[in-house]
Amino acid sequence: MGATLRALRALVLLLGFYLLSLVLLAVLVGVDVVAFRWGHGPAMLKLGFVTVLLAVPVVQGMFMLRTPKGEDGPGIDVTEAAEPRLWALVREVAAAAGTRAPDRIRLTGEVNAAVSEDPRLLGLLPGPRRLYLGVPLLTGLTEARLRAVLAHEYGHFTGGDTRLSALVVRGRVQLGRVIEQFHERADGKVAAERAKQEQARARRVARGKKAKQVDTSGSGATYRMMAAVYTQYAKLYLRASLSTARGQEFAADQVAARIAGRDTMAATLREIPVLSVSHGFYLDSYATLGLGARLLPPRGEFFGGFGALLAARAEELEGLRARLPEEPASPYDSHPPIAERVRRIEALPADGRADEATGPALALLTDPARTLAALEDAVLTDEVVRYGRAPGWPELLNASMASGLSTAQTPLHQALAARTGQPATLAALLEVVDAGGLWQLAEQLPLSAEAKSARGRAFREFARPVLRRSLRTMVLAEFSARSLLSWDFSWSEPAAVRLPGALPAAADGDGRSSQESPHESSEKSLEAALDAALADHPDTTALRALLPSAPQPA
Amino acid sequence: MTVLLWILAALALPLVIAALWFTGVFVKELFSPSPPGPDATALAAERLGLLPAERQDTEHAAPPPAAWSAALTAARSGDWAPAAELLRAGGRDWERRSTLTAELGTLAAEEDGWLLAWEAARPDDPDAAVVRAQSTVRLAWDLRGARQARYTSREQFEGFGRMLSAAREEIARAAELNPEDPTPYVVEIWVALGLGCSHAEMDELWERITSRDPYHYGAHYAALQYWCAKWRGSKELAFDFARRAAERAPVGSLLTVLPLIARFEHDETTDVAADSTPEMLALVDAGLADAAACAASDPDRPGLAQLRHLLAYYLHLQDRHEAALEQFRLVDGHVDALPWNYRGEDAAAYYCRVRNETVRMAAEAV
Repeated sequence: MGATLRALRALVLLLGFYLLSLVLLAVLVGVDVVAFRWGHGPAMLKLGFVTVLLAVPVVQGMFMLRTPKGEDGPGIDVTEAAEPRLWALVREVAAAAGTRAPDRIRLTGEVNAAVSEDPRLLGLLPGPRRLYLGVPLLTGLTEARLRAVLAHEYGHFTGGDTRLSALVVRGRVQLGRVIEQFHERADGKVAAERAKQEQARARRVARGKKAKQVDTSGSGATYRMMAAVYTQYAKLYLRASLSTARGQEFAADQVAARIAGRDTMAATLREIPVLSVSHGFYLDSYATLGLGARLLPPRGEFFGGFGALLAARAEELEGLRARLPEEPASPYDSHPPIAERVRRIEALPADGRADEATGPALALLTDPARTLAALEDAVLTDEVVRYGRAPGWPELLNASMASGLSTAQTPLHQALAARTGQPATLAALLEVVDAGGLWQLAEQLPLSAEAKSARGRAFREFARPVLRRSLRTMVLAEFSARSLLSWDFSWSEPAAVRLPGALPAAADGDGRSSQESPHESSEKSLEAALDAALADHPDTTALRALLPSAPQPA
Repeated sequence: MTVLLWILAALALPLVIAALWFTGVFVKELFSPSPPGPDATALAAERLGLLPAERQDTEHAAPPPAAWSAALTAARSGDWAPAAELLRAGGRDWERRSTLTAELGTLAAEEDGWLLAWEAARPDDPDAAVVRAQSTVRLAWDLRGARQARYTSREQFEGFGRMLSAAREEIARAAELNPEDPTPYVVEIWVALGLGCSHAEMDELWERITSRDPYHYGAHYAALQYWCAKWRGSKELAFDFARRAAERAPVGSLLTVLPLIARFEHDETTDVAADSTPEMLALVDAGLADAAACAASDPDRPGLAQLRHLLAYYLHLQDRHEAALEQFRLVDGHVDALPWNYRGEDAAAYYCRVRNETVRMAAEAV
């Protein structure tokens, strides 16, 4: 298919979007006309109301193609005066790519860089350009690699792409945007959110202001319906334009390789999926660690800690870099698989330019610490920004774990509360165990189908790991409530609990215990005591001996 | 006009009644299907004294000795003494010892109060120790379930791995308490199979077993499972192991069953001709001779029934119905054996279907 035909097809497909919307509106009007002619009474009014409800998103969809103002993701705009070096780099790369530099730069909290234009005349004329630059990218990429990222983005707009194939790109981006908007309104996010725990909800809110106000008032179904219609159309559109789109990604990669150097571009392509995965992990396990306890890391560290994580886990990341995704993220993804892109770049003839390993691109900023702090204010919700600040990461970990333990609701808590009708406490649990009720209680745990259908020893073996995890949490909570616990913070390892050092040795303590650290022997005593308390014939003596001022059996 | 309608109505009425009746029957069948009438072949089998599916024992391959049943019943009610006495009296008959241990271990995998009492009363009893090891391995397999890996949950696999690892120590202890007994090592094969031990480790384990009892039926059965493609080996390794073991063993040691099992485990064709090759005919003939020799010297030997079940199956597939029927008559009543027990719940029904078909073909041939 020639370039002209491709362009024509793109235009037809884009116009088809409007046609689809008009047809949908016509159908709705037709329904109303029929209803008003033959119908009467409240039923007719209700039908009219429903059609109006359905029409709203359609009309909105038609106008959504104009990127709504103020729909930028959260971030901070940086002026040329404030960040001269960043701007200079951006302009230099744009010049090298032979395209117009952006008019605004916005720093965001995502592992992503993007160039956008505010389209005019249904996306046929270019408008002001913006560059979105994720600060985690600045943290994880060297300056040279950042140039490669920028050059790739600009590659989409260089003379290599004809004006009308830019239309394809724009149409795809905008269609994606419409569907995304529909889904954002319609998604069961609200329902899912309600079901999730307070902590999980707080995390999502903290990620961005976007997901905050979700409409639940019954219009979700209509939105979903419209989204389905448009999704079908988008699939058609994407299938038709996909090969072009992927070709353009390759072309943009070539531009980037020319500007930034082959090796740098290849290294950048390898690095981005790694950064993306690591940042997700960082947000889940570190940055949002204290949200349940309404606590944030020290100011500037919400995004700033990412650098420390990358440094500490360098070895682990090396393994990730070796395994590139071979599959596209989805059949409709406009980007070809990273592995394929890397192969094509590495197949280019050597240009004699090495992947210069300079410091992180974050150093381009005038005052990185100040920018990181400002980004927090912009990206976190107002509610979260008002949370307390831990003085350091270890303190954040300790406070979060203490708070988590004090509010923990294990399956055992639930089973015990259901049995006794009282709030579950460790003392109450030990009483039930001493009265011989452990295995009866275990039957009330939420267990898998296999465990439920098991009998005798098999049942006990299925239930024991669940019991053990729960009981361990309950015991740790007891220690924590008396401030006897601390946690070891590490950027490279999961947090490890540190038990009080002076726990009495386990009843069957062996001779080696004298050579162990007090911490290790405490750990051993606890494990042995848990084992005894959850044996086929439970014995809580050892566990009671470990507990601080444990309640004695009556 | 009205007349026409009346005529039409009169014509339609029977049709409507018929439709209603069919619907009624259909709905009734849907909710409470009438039991299928006993077909002619089932009646013919019954006339030969063969049992219907619901009377087949799906727990055993052959009737267990009365003393064993009594000991198991006693153990179930908490009295371990008869079981302990049986194992002690069995002495160096390793084959029977392993089989009885398996029975007791299965029972102790359900509830082990009686075994705990035994262990408490006789702390270093090698018999209790071997039953303990066997019961833990059995419990591991109970936790795993019998389904393929993809239908087995992570929780099941974790319990499986935990129990198998725990069993290792118990196996070592049982072996230490009775160094000549191969039974702990036979039990260990099922651990090696579950944990995926290397071929070198398996060879080492095998050496320990064969130096204690070179033709142990249960050990060969377990080891062949290890070498099967679905576990830790391949079709070639399994066939090779089975062939060598069968060739080396004296007639009457029942190891001629191994090539048949290897063949059954790796049978992917639906082509019956593959079961009647000269090679297969020879394997079945060797099995028949083996079974006859064993029956003459030791008719209650564990493993004889399993051989007969497979012989009956393959004789049937080879259209040697008269000979197949003879094997069926010798094992009828107990169907916990290959090839039937791989059908799970349907084992007895499957067995009866093949057996009845054999009865019919044999009657036709006469």
